[in-house]
Amino acid sequence: MSKTVLEVKNLTKEFSRGFSFKSFKRKKPVVAIDNISFKVKQGEIVGLLGPNGAGKTTTIQMLLGTTSKTSGVIKYFGREFNKYRTESLQEVNYCSAYTKLPQSLTVYENLMVYAKLYQVDNPKERIKLLLEQFEMSDYANRQARDLSAGQATRVILVKAFINFPKVLLLDEPTASLDPDIASNVRRFLLKQQEKYNVSMLFTSHNMTEVAQVCDRVIFLRKGKIFAEDTPMGLTQSIKHCSLRLMLGDGLKRLKVFAQGRNYKIEVNDREAKIEIKEVDVAGFLNKLAEHNISYSEISIDKPSLEDYFLSFAKEDNKEGK
Amino acid sequence: MSKARILAVIWRHLYNFKHRADRWVDAFYWPAVDILLWGLTSVYIRDLATDIPNIVTILLTGLVYWQVVWRSNYEIGVNLLEEIWSDNVVNLFASPLTVLEWMVAVNLLGILKMVMTIGFAFSMVFFLYGVNVLQVGWLMIPFVVLLLMNGWWIGFLVAGFIIRFGSKIQTLAWSGVYLLAPFSAIYYPVSSLPEWVQKVAAWAPLSYVFEGMRSVLFTGVMDQANLFKSGWLTGVYLMASMVFFVIMFKQSKKVGLSSLE
Repeated sequence: MSKTVLEVKNLTKEFSRGFSFKSFKRKKPVVAIDNISFKVKQGEIVGLLGPNGAGKTTTIQMLLGTTSKTSGVIKYFGREFNKYRTESLQEVNYCSAYTKLPQSLTVYENLMVYAKLYQVDNPKERIKLLLEQFEMSDYANRQARDLSAGQATRVILVKAFINFPKVLLLDEPTASLDPDIASNVRRFLLKQQEKYNVSMLFTSHNMTEVAQVCDRVIFLRKGKIFAEDTPMGLTQSIKHCSLRLMLGDGLKRLKVFAQGRNYKIEVNDREAKIEIKEVDVAGFLNKLAEHNISYSEISIDKPSLEDYFLSFAKEDNKEGK
Repeated sequence: MSKARILAVIWRHLYNFKHRADRWVDAFYWPAVDILLWGLTSVYIRDLATDIPNIVTILLTGLVYWQVVWRSNYEIGVNLLEEIWSDNVVNLFASPLTVLEWMVAVNLLGILKMVMTIGFAFSMVFFLYGVNVLQVGWLMIPFVVLLLMNGWWIGFLVAGFIIRFGSKIQTLAWSGVYLLAPFSAIYYPVSSLPEWVQKVAAWAPLSYVFEGMRSVLFTGVMDQANLFKSGWLTGVYLMASMVFFVIMFKQSKKVGLSSLE
């Protein structure tokens, strides 16, 4: 069984809101992360998902030590992060599409600084190899300020791999990349996982990407772990699917029939889309025949990770209203 | 503490220096303008009021040695701001680099850049006005060390506020040190100041250094008690400001270093 490289136990983060002179008391703090626990095993890619404000970035920042935790324990490779910060971070790296590298330095100079910070052996060779892998060799002597958003993100990714990390914390690493480059990056990440057993904690708003890359997904909602499973396991927890029919005859009868059974139905020209429980599909189709409703084409759209995400994002919006 | 990581931070800022014209302006242009302006002014005053002895030496020595304080202070605040402006704070402190290593690195950078700027300023006053600021002799060593350390404590005090409140108070990085200038007796003796300013100057370690420097230049004698007093005041202030910076760094982590970007 593969060993645990990152362990988070009862992690909590409260942000202080200062002092209220009205009530002459400290204001109640905002709980951004509420007692979460999870583990990442060696070679595992774990997705950390959730709507905006769920606490994904705060969690990653605490795992890097750039935001202090209120309580809880973080362990890398079985050692407490608080006590072994330097040793832990030597084997961890981080990438976010929202951070930058010093703009006046060239790509090569920036990477050399980070290679020295992580005390990489043969830094020149390492930089050359990574720049080739990310198709950035031609930009080595260009100043960071002259790079496009996509190129800058790739340089940050090179920085993230510079120290042969055993754990990578990736905060939306493919945001701002063109689809073909994003696909290359995903392939690269999977190759690193396979070749070097690199573990990754990965946040993204691209659910297709998450389903493709992650072995396991942790859904955060209002600072708490709401669900934790494989991408497939999560989508299977949605019992509904979309049944699409290209109707021949009986459109009105179908509407009456579906609404009578409280199925949500949308009609566009002769195409009908019905939201229905997967287990009810066969019975529903039999009933259509009994009501002389004919159709020429049929398709069943199984729920995706995006549907799962949207299902509770909608709930959050409703609660917000 | 890792030498390699300290060197990495130094390299980061030297690369930056190489590419940034404004950093060259700060290192050479402004000191040159100051030397020209004050040099010409002091020559004019010397010709006008012949009863003031060594006015050119007094003003230019004060000016050149003040650059040591300014330079070492500037390197701390501005190098921190460079990271904030580049959105690089999280990348930097998500690496194994410790806050103490960063502090040592910016101090060493201060020494390096100070040698550069001061070397330039020394040569300029010598060739333009014939003033040899090295005539202080071996006492220059403790003087420069004290000036450097004073720049550091002001720098860490300012950097403490910047790491906590971000670039919205960035002007302190340039202007903070000047708050101390009137009490530091850079160009005039403490005895010429109003009484309340003299009381404040007694707590300003730089006032003893500049007074001592003038004393050595004109009488060849240095009051060692004053040098010692300046030394311990500087030591206490430096320790306190470093502790203050580390506390503010921890406070900033409570909000999240990413909030600085």
